[in-house]
Amino acid sequence: MTSTLTPPEQATKPSRPRATRTEGLTLRHRLGRLDVKYSPYIYVAPFFILFGLIGLFPLVYTFVVSLNHWNLLTGPGEWVGFDNFVTELKDPFFWNSLFNTMSIFLLSAIPQLIAATFIAAILDQNIRAKTFWRMSVLLPYVVTPVAVTLIFSSAFDEKYGLINNLLTAIHLDPIMWKTEVFPSHIAIATMVNWRWTGYNALILLAAMQAVPRDVHESAALDGAGSFRRFFSITLPSIRPTMIFVIITATIGGLQIFTEPKLFNATSATPGGPQRQYQTTVLYLWDLAFNRQDFGRASAVAWLLFILVVLIGLINFELSRRIASSEARVSKRRAKKRLAAYNADRPTGAQTQRADAADAASTTAAPGAHTQEKDS
Amino acid sequence: MKSSRRTRVAAVIAGAASFALLATGCAASDSGSGTKNEKITLTVTTFGTMGLDGLYKKYEKAHPNITIKATNIDTGDNAKTDWQTKQAAGAGLPDVQGVEEGWLSAVMQVSDQFQDLRDYGINKIKDRWVDWKVKQATDKDGRIIGYGTDIGPEGLCYNSKLFAAAGLPSDRDGVAELLGGKNATWDDYFKVGAQYTKATGKPFYDQSGFIWNAMVNQQDEGYYTKDGKLNVKDNSTLKSLWLKLADATESGQSSNQTQWDWGKGKAFLDGSFATMVCPGWMLGNVKGGVTQGGGDATSGWDFADVFPGGAANWGGSFLTVPKQSKHPKEAAALAQWLTDPAQQVAAFQAAGTFPSTLEAQTDPGVTGPNELSKFFNNAPVGKILASRAEGVVAQYKGPDDSVIQSQVFGPAVQEIDSKKANGQQAWNDAMKLLDQLVVNK
Repeated sequence: MTSTLTPPEQATKPSRPRATRTEGLTLRHRLGRLDVKYSPYIYVAPFFILFGLIGLFPLVYTFVVSLNHWNLLTGPGEWVGFDNFVTELKDPFFWNSLFNTMSIFLLSAIPQLIAATFIAAILDQNIRAKTFWRMSVLLPYVVTPVAVTLIFSSAFDEKYGLINNLLTAIHLDPIMWKTEVFPSHIAIATMVNWRWTGYNALILLAAMQAVPRDVHESAALDGAGSFRRFFSITLPSIRPTMIFVIITATIGGLQIFTEPKLFNATSATPGGPQRQYQTTVLYLWDLAFNRQDFGRASAVAWLLFILVVLIGLINFELSRRIASSEARVSKRRAKKRLAAYNADRPTGAQTQRADAADAASTTAAPGAHTQEKDS
Repeated sequence: MKSSRRTRVAAVIAGAASFALLATGCAASDSGSGTKNEKITLTVTTFGTMGLDGLYKKYEKAHPNITIKATNIDTGDNAKTDWQTKQAAGAGLPDVQGVEEGWLSAVMQVSDQFQDLRDYGINKIKDRWVDWKVKQATDKDGRIIGYGTDIGPEGLCYNSKLFAAAGLPSDRDGVAELLGGKNATWDDYFKVGAQYTKATGKPFYDQSGFIWNAMVNQQDEGYYTKDGKLNVKDNSTLKSLWLKLADATESGQSSNQTQWDWGKGKAFLDGSFATMVCPGWMLGNVKGGVTQGGGDATSGWDFADVFPGGAANWGGSFLTVPKQSKHPKEAAALAQWLTDPAQQVAAFQAAGTFPSTLEAQTDPGVTGPNELSKFFNNAPVGKILASRAEGVVAQYKGPDDSVIQSQVFGPAVQEIDSKKANGQQAWNDAMKLLDQLVVNK
């Protein structure tokens, strides 16, 4: 309470002379001032302390481990510098795991986002029993991924699975879901999609609801059909949310573990006997816990971290470009309109000013990019 | 995917849980340094079905100052991960830790982190076990770190109905005879397999992995020589066995089932295969699979006192006392009691784990009829397993033994089972993997 009450009290007495200011303060005031100054740090401290403990410290520790030969059980061996990183970058299994990760990510993210957008668009209409439908799409998200994987893994069984039974019933060849590379990726992507499509749909739905209705209405009055309105109004308006969804999907997609781990839980090599669907995190786990090579596992963890940061930066840059190019276009339009408006008026000074502004915008075009970002 | 959110939550929970664990660990360690009547809590970690759960209460009753907090982890593999994590962290291990034979070689890497049970009088009682069980638990400095619980001598599960339909003898003794009796070899086994496959057009065994496992385990020396040298590439014994297995598999004797799944048990009932290598504890898996697939004792499964290539052991466990334990004396006493012959008989009756002590093996509670023997057409399961345990050798397991078994030969087994490669190609692929994973690591 004091923290909110004290400062205005001080602010209302600005006439007090500087020299006497501290002397005249009572202990209560001084405490109050300390409170104002430092208590916000205490309020935010729990996050940073927790982050330091379970975020930053493991990150640094992992890096230290990655610079050593480090057996999981017998502990640190000799210091090898970046040898573990070099070994990993040369290891075909590492690249195989990256390929699998990217492949499963693309197979899941793209159809998932498309489906989520359309589900959200449908839910955005005036339909009966709205809450029921909205809850229904979230239902798969509530189920634990382990249960999801067990069910799907059984359905995708090669000899006795539901899907292959259906395929053979209509005289098609059964698909080797657990031994062929591409089918196994599709199977795992299916689990991911099943689980996350509804979740993304709800996030996108929230964004769609925030689009002003009057924009839709005026577009409708101008004769735009519902598809035209969707592509020209809804999609551009939810772009920031879309970017958020894509970024989180990317980070999550690069860390996929549970689904491939449990897809064939009894496989001695995690991720399929020939590592057909061994993702990078699974490869890391295998290195640490089956091959006991903690040093190399840590190196993989760091490589993955760097990769995620890189992709995150690319995403960020792309979204910034999109946003700023949009701003540039609208500014230019506004300027043009202003110029046209000024041209109609006879006052020379104003015309000159408008011309100058126009000239500045054209000459400063390459640099304008950064300036506009700030504005 | 998108585990970012999920993982973060999981990380927080895991973090909190490990704090809690640490906290309880510390709390346990504070309590007392061992006077006779002080209240002591002993923690025990086991896995799978070891049949010990009913025994803790009995022990608590006999020792009023001791409370047992038992944790059972679902599978041996998960228990291994659990143990490794806590061993690496240097904290959190229980007072009594169950260890499976499959990851004993990893435990042996850090055998000095376990109490030498000779300090707690194991020398006086070590004759009660089959000798190779004690040898397995002895490290290279002669320290004994584990009390043996069960063992996994291997016999042959076969389906008598399928044998009869193929015109082969279907009674237990007849089948044992057919496969060569006491001197059964893998050649005999695959020859009968060829006969069976020819007569029925169906595969003979479920998949090649378990057979390869048995073939390696029954040798005097497996992937490593006795003095700990890696010996795979020029190991002519292993290679000729591999080629035999690959040839039989190529000719259609393997049903290429998913290990531990068997089509959710259906494969036991639809005639997919007629034989399977069966350590004692596997009988429970077969029964479970048949039941899961909707079958019962009439499905024709039986258990024969024969094993190709000589006696073989697969699995079995030990109870160890990690040095992290603050009550090693009490923990050792509990572990020893849990592995006493009387308790082993009780565990066998509860979970079908075949005892590792000679006295328990001949106990009527083990040799007599029980639920399991009823399921296997009244086969004297206990007697057969005792006879299958004769002649088993304790093979030296090197540090990378389990990696070689699962990651070097695992893919090769899958290649021959799915007919992607012949024996020679698969062997070459395995050697490439061996270089990559073990030799040049």
